[in-house]
Amino acid sequence: MWYAMSGDGPDLDGQMAAQLQRGDTAAIEALYDRYGRLALGLAYRILNDRGAAEDAVQEAFVAVWRNAAGFDASRGGLRNWLLSIVRNRAIDRLRGNAKARAEVQLDSTERAGGVPDPWAAVALDLERKQIREAFDELPDAQRRTLGLAYFAGLTHVEIAQQMQVPLGTVKGRMRIGLEKMRAFLRARGVTA
Amino acid sequence: MTPMNHVEAEELLGAYALDALTGDERQRLEEHFRSCDEHRDAAADLGGIVPQLALTVEDRDPSPALRRRIMDAVSAEPSQPVAVVPLLPSRPPSTMTGPRVGRRPRWVLRPVALAVAGALLLALAAGAVIGRLTGPNAATIAYTFQGDATRAPGAQARLVYFKDQQAAVVAATGLPRLASGQVYEMWLIKDGVPVDEGIGSSTDGQLAARMTGDVSQFQQFAITIEPGEQRLPTTTPILLGTLRSGG
Repeated sequence: MWYAMSGDGPDLDGQMAAQLQRGDTAAIEALYDRYGRLALGLAYRILNDRGAAEDAVQEAFVAVWRNAAGFDASRGGLRNWLLSIVRNRAIDRLRGNAKARAEVQLDSTERAGGVPDPWAAVALDLERKQIREAFDELPDAQRRTLGLAYFAGLTHVEIAQQMQVPLGTVKGRMRIGLEKMRAFLRARGVTA
Repeated sequence: MTPMNHVEAEELLGAYALDALTGDERQRLEEHFRSCDEHRDAAADLGGIVPQLALTVEDRDPSPALRRRIMDAVSAEPSQPVAVVPLLPSRPPSTMTGPRVGRRPRWVLRPVALAVAGALLLALAAGAVIGRLTGPNAATIAYTFQGDATRAPGAQARLVYFKDQQAAVVAATGLPRLASGQVYEMWLIKDGVPVDEGIGSSTDGQLAARMTGDVSQFQQFAITIEPGEQRLPTTTPILLGTLRSGG
């Protein structure tokens, strides 16, 4: 049984959201334990710089804390909300819009603390495997086009210039690529 | 603004879902959605896939300090308990096939005494009290803003700033309906630089919000419709007004 993609472990995320809305800082730690490595993976994929990626992740978690009262689960799960903020913050930095960050560079790394819920972790891994397969199944041109839009924050016009293809081609790759991913996932019982 | 035809809109749905359109294209497409449920629903459908792209990345192990940095930063921020205050009695949801939005107004609420804010919002809704509170030397300043004549002709917002509390309450009505995934985002603008003051959604175009801080240092107030919370506005404001006394 899969977790709904947008719900992603509704009990745990729902509980964390409720805790956040009560102003319980333990919820931020729980959220970090569950999604901190994923969040950093996303920020690093966009920025390719560990320090900048960690700054973006820090900003995102603080933003979640600051804006928790406005979180509306009917518009998407807590995970998607967090990751969308991570992505926005990272793209801002990529475009040079972010404030100058503190010069904190740390060489050593270690696994984040905390003990994630085993089943939730397994379910998340399985879900991510399906999504990676859906992405990898796309023709290279569609995959690159989606990647440039999502991970580089480029517009369709910028992508057309970068890939040196007509704008209409980029529009088509975006739409068809997303439609193929949706069809792939739905066929496997994973719904967005 | 040139209307977007059906074929052109169809071509742009993927780029819209990926937030890869220019501002003008986005605006024209969203205008098209107002009269085209088919494309609005299709865009929402594709938009549901986009967040999953984040899950295609490989995890990375944070440095040991990141957790502490986050918790230190969070501890320095005041807690934000839920305190959503409906401005007016809710009207029944629209019978139109509409986007998935919140059931009632939700704004990011900044810390300020709840009882005070609730009472003031009621006052705002009733259109009363404000006159007695305002004046050149009053500790309270009220502003009224009208929606953009094209984008939000029926919208109106009232902002009341309480100098001594360094807090403000905002009440807006008649805002345009949101498409799926969209939110209202509120901004204070100083020297041309917008500062995000929170997001919210509503099915009936009514919103209530509170802010803390010295609002008087800002020159303008604005509301935009965004495809999720943005650090800077990505669309033209549906409501933009100057902050000056006695509005």
